[in-house]
Amino acid sequence: MSHKEIIKKYYSKLEKFDSDIKKLENNNELHLSLNDPNKLHELCKFLKKDLDLRLMTIICCDEQKLNHGFKIRHVFGSDVDDFFLFVILSIDESHPYFPSIYDVFPSSILYEREIKDMFGLMAQENPNIKPLILHDFPNDVFPLRKDFKLNDDVKRNLKQFEFTPIIGEGVCEIPVGPIHAGIIEPGHFRFSVLGETIINLETRLGYAHKGIEKLAESMPINDVVFLSERISGDESVANSIAFCQAVEKIAQLTIPQKAEQLRLLFAELERIYNHFGTLGGILTDVGFPYGASRLNILKEQIMQLNERLSGSRILFGVNQIGGVKTNVTDEMLIDIHFVLDDTFQIFEKILDLLKSNSSVMDRLRNTGIIEKQMARDLGLVGISSRCIGIETDTRQTHPYGYYPSINLKQKTPRETMEHQVELQKRIGDVLSRFMSRVDDLRQSKDIIGSITALKSDGLSKSIDDELTPYSSALGYAESHRGETLHWIMIGEHNSIFRYKIRTASFSNWPIIEYAVLDNIVADFPVINKSFDFSYSGNDL
Amino acid sequence: MKKNTDKINHLIDISFKSAAIKNPLKMDDTIATNYRAYVILDPNKDFILNDETGKILENSCPTHAITYQNDDDPKIHLDNGKCILCGNCQVKSPELIKITNKFDLAKKRRDDLIETFSMSVPFEKTYEELGKELKNKIDKIFGRSLAIREIDAGSCNGCEIEINALNNPVYDIERYGITFVASPRHADVLLVTGPASKNMERALKIAYDSTPNPKIVIAVGACACSGGIFGNNYATTGGIDNIVPVNVYIPGCPPRPQALLYGILVAINKI
Repeated sequence: MSHKEIIKKYYSKLEKFDSDIKKLENNNELHLSLNDPNKLHELCKFLKKDLDLRLMTIICCDEQKLNHGFKIRHVFGSDVDDFFLFVILSIDESHPYFPSIYDVFPSSILYEREIKDMFGLMAQENPNIKPLILHDFPNDVFPLRKDFKLNDDVKRNLKQFEFTPIIGEGVCEIPVGPIHAGIIEPGHFRFSVLGETIINLETRLGYAHKGIEKLAESMPINDVVFLSERISGDESVANSIAFCQAVEKIAQLTIPQKAEQLRLLFAELERIYNHFGTLGGILTDVGFPYGASRLNILKEQIMQLNERLSGSRILFGVNQIGGVKTNVTDEMLIDIHFVLDDTFQIFEKILDLLKSNSSVMDRLRNTGIIEKQMARDLGLVGISSRCIGIETDTRQTHPYGYYPSINLKQKTPRETMEHQVELQKRIGDVLSRFMSRVDDLRQSKDIIGSITALKSDGLSKSIDDELTPYSSALGYAESHRGETLHWIMIGEHNSIFRYKIRTASFSNWPIIEYAVLDNIVADFPVINKSFDFSYSGNDL
Repeated sequence: MKKNTDKINHLIDISFKSAAIKNPLKMDDTIATNYRAYVILDPNKDFILNDETGKILENSCPTHAITYQNDDDPKIHLDNGKCILCGNCQVKSPELIKITNKFDLAKKRRDDLIETFSMSVPFEKTYEELGKELKNKIDKIFGRSLAIREIDAGSCNGCEIEINALNNPVYDIERYGITFVASPRHADVLLVTGPASKNMERALKIAYDSTPNPKIVIAVGACACSGGIFGNNYATTGGIDNIVPVNVYIPGCPPRPQALLYGILVAINKI
């Protein structure tokens, strides 16, 4: 089905709900303006029950300069069709409230807290009003409003953050972080334990907040690509692809086929080296350094391949708006296939070894179990949802770039059957996530393997015309953590008016508080590593 | 059971044959020639620096690492502490800018990361630079074993990937007597990454105070040296040295494991 037909299908259903809503189409996006904010709650119930849509993000934008007040865009997506629904509310500064939809989509709590931090708009009835990203910030300063300047000096009021107290006989608190024992990013975890068992966990993030969204508004659009690469260093390709695709969607630019192929190659290489690293990290945390060392060697081999291809070990500087910067020749492509064949041959052997090692399997099995309903409610994406059998993959539901042209080898009925049996074993524990990553790795190898010849229609196209001011688009990509969304609104003279980033980490972080319950404290590192969330990608 | 031991033996057979680099500080072909690590100003014969070429260079840099100055004598200053190695300047002016793959980049003073090119003075080491080098070699404080505590002050986790790589079997930093420890109280060296986000400011100060004297602080990556692409804004402080005193700066975005090792070695004067 084409985008137009899909939108028509959804719009006809929406018309039944309310006949006088204004609509606007933009490729695969349908924008609905809701005049009465109080209707939002009812509409959300309808979207969830009848259209089976999922809340993807909530975007707030200060459009007071355009006399629109604040615009709040609730973005819903389908897991079946390539379709995004934007429900737009207008909020006036004199009455800074909007309805919360947490009882329909519990994942909205996070976005609503973020909007309160950054814009000072309150979600009515939201049960959690603790600050999310900003620490010790005054109550009347909101960084993403247009009257706040990037370099404004904010006087912080140092006061203790109030964690929810867990009281009872024998309950102890363990504070961990923001500086951790290992070489990882900063974040605070407050455990309440009864003996060895964790009975409550409260996370406090935001330590890596660098003001990326505000910073982008002051940078030339071509430089923002570098910024998007540094949202999270290990997702550099996925994030820059999502950003570039959003801009290209606004400019209605079709980039050369070769550029699409190279973007795909780099994105999959990124996925492979990160999954090797995460699997190695899981093995380190269960005390099996032999396996971890072997996997880390594989990761290093892929990173050295990255270096030969692009001049950067973690693939910085690969993308640009309109295409790619780095060329890959046919000899390099042979190099890629050669290295992957080599590493995956060893990888399968390591995997056989691990499966026969009962001490490793015992630690992974039944550790950190998440429930399917919980995963749905929190809107998990990527590995975290695939480990419990919810298939969310942006590459399939919202095909972008060269992915639709990929022809993977059809599975034989027996293989399909075996895979189905294997999926039945996925109960949402660490082992399921381990095996989901293994699946992902094999798939990535097959995807790269299917590219045997590169097209020769150039590396990039340039955008000559100035982009239409105040036009917007949603870019998306699948990083190794899951669905990544970048929403851009263009300002005057090719500047960026608003850059909203939602990485997979942001929507996935809350699950950690539930996954660790009833586990022992010593299992927390391996549970955390099995999810492999980015702190920087969450805090921005 | 026998089957399994066979498997393991086979795995050991093929495993570490060529994985480890014998001497990571020796430049060999494990570093790709097009790897972007450090920007130098190496003009071709016919390169002329004037207002036009200077402005083009200055504007090509997203982090404002390049500044052009013209008071009688046109000069280009290039601050490698701010450079994120995007390669834009090389595209704009290949006659002047060369990007090398060397990794012995760590410097003891922030100013040493700045390269200058001027049309009049020939480009070579000055007296002052030699003096600094001498001074660096004099202050020997630590012995053979070094304990490092890594602190992420808001980095994008690119630098963490490379620091983690130091511990993998290929680079294996422990063979040089360098260990990563879990607490700043056990550490001689703090390896700090990130533009020092304001939210991490207090934690970084506390960690610095908890580290026993004498201590060395190494700023890792363009962000830690200068704020990098994030600069100095409402949420960042624009470099680690705005919060705690820094002894060694390692530029790069991110610095490769060899560059990190060189920086640590500079810090303890093993070189």
